[in-house]
Amino acid sequence: MSVVDTRKTHELVDTTEPNLLEDVFDYSLPPKIRFDGPLIEYIDGQPVEFDPNSAKKRDIFITDTTFRDGQQARPPYTIDQMVHLYDLLAKLGGPNGVIRQTEFFLYTKNDRETLDRCRELGHEFPECTGWIRAVKGDFRLVKEAGLKETGMLTSSSDYHIFNKLKFKSRQECMDSYCEVVDAAFEAGVRPRCHLEDVTRADWDGFVMPFVDRLMRMSEQVPEDQGVKIRICDTMGFGLHYPGAELPRSVPKMIYKLNQECGVPSDRLEWHGHNDFHRTHANGATAWLYGCDALNGTLFGFGERCGNPPVEGAIIEYISLKEDLCGIQTEVITEMAKYMRSIDFPIPENYPLVGKHFNTTRAGIHAGGLRSDERIYNIFDTTKLLNRPPRVALTDKSGADGVAHWVNEFFGLKDADRISKIKVHKVARWVMDQYEVEGRMTAISDEELEAKVQELMPEYWEKYQGKLDGV
Amino acid sequence: MASVQDRVIEVTARVLQLDAGDIKPENNFSADLGAESVQSIELVAMFEEEFGIEMEEDAALAVTTVGSAAEFIEGICKEQGVEV
Repeated sequence: MSVVDTRKTHELVDTTEPNLLEDVFDYSLPPKIRFDGPLIEYIDGQPVEFDPNSAKKRDIFITDTTFRDGQQARPPYTIDQMVHLYDLLAKLGGPNGVIRQTEFFLYTKNDRETLDRCRELGHEFPECTGWIRAVKGDFRLVKEAGLKETGMLTSSSDYHIFNKLKFKSRQECMDSYCEVVDAAFEAGVRPRCHLEDVTRADWDGFVMPFVDRLMRMSEQVPEDQGVKIRICDTMGFGLHYPGAELPRSVPKMIYKLNQECGVPSDRLEWHGHNDFHRTHANGATAWLYGCDALNGTLFGFGERCGNPPVEGAIIEYISLKEDLCGIQTEVITEMAKYMRSIDFPIPENYPLVGKHFNTTRAGIHAGGLRSDERIYNIFDTTKLLNRPPRVALTDKSGADGVAHWVNEFFGLKDADRISKIKVHKVARWVMDQYEVEGRMTAISDEELEAKVQELMPEYWEKYQGKLDGV
Repeated sequence: MASVQDRVIEVTARVLQLDAGDIKPENNFSADLGAESVQSIELVAMFEEEFGIEMEEDAALAVTTVGSAAEFIEGICKEQGVEV
């Protein structure tokens, strides 16, 4: 085997002016996602090119399952809570329907009342859809609710077909599913087949023959009633890496359904789970390879380890489209606040909404924040999320950290900001907490507020009026 | 009246809890006298209080030795019309 020398010489491009790469890292938006070439995936031994930039042009969108999968993992929401969250989803997704649909259980009186009240709000998006098991008896519920579309459980792995649903054969299973699909067609309702456990299924032996049949059946109905396919990575086994093999490969699954079975991109939806920390990357990968819909839940809350987080998908969407597209990003913060108010725990380090998602503790980082906020903040979180970058104080925070905290606390900008020299008494108190008192925990905002009042009375007097707006 | 340098040494001794007699003009605040990060800030704050002046933060913190601090402060006092 010959060895090719791939090394190159790279010359320093000296400059006295920083190149901050602001075309990509435009602080007013989440960083833009750019591609400089095609994605190559070997399908059945042959290289196939995918253009990732097609996702920038296609009408990709987000669908929500907060009230279905999200609710399977927690005590039920009240009707009022669901109606409020639905209203917030509509605000977040904006008038272009970036959050296009959300699905509801239809089994109880409360389920149906929730659905009715959400629809009474009159939002065009997200469209309300249903979720039923693939049994004819359940289909009555969809008809009664007057929904245009419903998801139905069409489990696709032999774990489910034989061991859970107790079918005697794959043929019996497929026939049973197709009967319900037929019933949907007869009622003028679009069926969305949820290929449950598809990342552990026999693609050649069941998944593709089943989808082929669904596509043939769809030819008998108008286009807007044709079967949609939800690709359900039920156990989080999906892999986004190029070169991974079926049934775990996200690129290959999308290709097979889209190109070989002929399911149009706008009728393909990815539904993932986070058991291996891959849920968001897998969902975004599905977008890139030709699946238009990414299904998720608010804050990723769902069965076991959860689903793709809707708010993460929103930021990914903006990064791909390089535009807000009518999305009201600040609603993400409003939603998190509401969720906390109804005892929904959000870890402090959770991206975008955790208490400390943009909080820095190290003094050297706080120094960076003080001189240029962009150094340690991912984007303009004040503008996009109503969350200015914060500093939490520990023994590592230094006077820089204290100065940043005090300035943020008083809401001081530019020339009004207080230098670290003026906060030296508070900085000393912080250090003594650790060096003298042997403290082992971070200092709370409440403690600091009291110390600022005590040790910086002249500033407290001068700026406390500003606190009303904090 | 004590010289600027003597007053700088007095303040330094108080903040760093050292004997003033052990502090020399050529001593580096950090390497020789052991001033840590927060103590450097305290030193600047105490110099401001001692001389009744305002110092620009970055410039003041860039001063490394006792002697150069005295020179720097003398310059600031002159600029700000403070008699020393």
